[in-house]
Amino acid sequence: MSDNRPTMIDTDVHNSMTGKQDLLPYLPKAYHQAWLAYGAGYGGSYLGTGAHSVTRRDARPDGGGPPASDPNYVIRHHLAPYGIDYAILTGSGILGISLVSDPDYGNVIARAYNDWLADTWLKASPRYKGSILINHSDPQAAVQEIERMGPHPDMVQVIMCSGSRNLFGQRMFHPIYEAAERHGLPVAIHPGTEGRGNAGPPTPSGHPTRYFEWHNIIPINYMSHVNSLVCEGVFEKFPELKFVAIEGGFAWLPHLMWRMDKNYKGLRDQVPWLKCKPSEYIRGHILLTTQPIEEPDDPAHLGQILDMIGGDHMIMYSSDYPHWDFDNPKVALRSIRRELRQRIFADNAIQLYGLSEKPGEGASV
Amino acid sequence: MTGREGKQAYPVARVGDFGEADRLVVQVKNVEIGLFKVGNDYYAWRNLCPHAAAPICAGTVCGTMLPSGVYEHEFGREGEIVRCPWHNWEFDLRTGELLADPSVKLRGFELVREGEELHLLL
Repeated sequence: MSDNRPTMIDTDVHNSMTGKQDLLPYLPKAYHQAWLAYGAGYGGSYLGTGAHSVTRRDARPDGGGPPASDPNYVIRHHLAPYGIDYAILTGSGILGISLVSDPDYGNVIARAYNDWLADTWLKASPRYKGSILINHSDPQAAVQEIERMGPHPDMVQVIMCSGSRNLFGQRMFHPIYEAAERHGLPVAIHPGTEGRGNAGPPTPSGHPTRYFEWHNIIPINYMSHVNSLVCEGVFEKFPELKFVAIEGGFAWLPHLMWRMDKNYKGLRDQVPWLKCKPSEYIRGHILLTTQPIEEPDDPAHLGQILDMIGGDHMIMYSSDYPHWDFDNPKVALRSIRRELRQRIFADNAIQLYGLSEKPGEGASV
Repeated sequence: MTGREGKQAYPVARVGDFGEADRLVVQVKNVEIGLFKVGNDYYAWRNLCPHAAAPICAGTVCGTMLPSGVYEHEFGREGEIVRCPWHNWEFDLRTGELLADPSVKLRGFELVREGEELHLLL
């Protein structure tokens, strides 16, 4: 194996603007006032006691500004100390633009954000790889954005929020998958918007009461989307498409696979376009990131769950830097068998994102 | 009468016994066996679903949705499928295979037609 092969790739790093004004040079003048007044505009988060902060208190850049708003500081504070070769950037406080009621607003913000990302973070260091933000509520515009940004050499995937009014397997979203597949880009979803903006409530029985309760139950939305993607035949229609489920956990996967496979035996005729068991589509097309990794009382149980999933190629390390539920790569995966750990830390992301060499010049600060 | 490979042949039904029915359930050496008529062919399957031991012969003989493109529904194979009465598993009456997973099969018996007589080889 080449010495120049990456040894760690962090698949969820939340690059932030220093402030709303950062986006103005990339935003049509007509939207400046609205952006400064409303920001991404998809509503506040669920309440806690006020003692909790979503961002780590130790992650404020030494030069000022919000956590993860300085690309050089993120290298010094996060990438370099942990030996992270690449960070896949997932944005901060902006993913929910799919959930504002005005689709034109969501579209222009997505475009401006992508231009800002390409102009700042992606130029700051070859360690940074971008995710093309789309407004999934307007699939036609989302396709245009994928066409526009897809050829950028440092954009490695499409990203959209997991909060939605519709399940992601449904046909209205298929043009997004067609465009992503054509550009060789995985489509990633990221949580945090469940129940916010005009998304449906985070559970079919309505809204959780507090942030704690809301955060616990995010995986049901992920289960719903994965279930939908498989049942609607998305991976039959787009056989090269990869779908990345960021920050939604993975311990639920055996349950979903078993339940889908069992039902498929009796209810196959409702989805005659499926040519193999649902779990095989999941193994073939879904990747999941580790953070916030499940922490069973007996750490060995985590390895057992991974064995039940039966897809060592499916899981990728993520830290969620600079958020509070950060997973330290030196600690979080210790209970996982060594060869799988290496796949999770680097190999699976190398393969998915085509990052087979360590970053070139300018990678260190 | 002794059939092929030293198996014993048991006369289990006459073709006329089916009347309008698509199946008959017979008992041979304390084993319940379903005789199914598919077109002009006859097949014998143990009356036991390999999944959860349901009486498969109490299921519906039907057709089903053929393998198709995404969002297409094409119905076919009328009379070639038995659907288990408990969990709706669909078995191909000609091969005994579960449509969703051909590695799962009904237990079959050789059935030979001698004129109007059906003989089960056991």
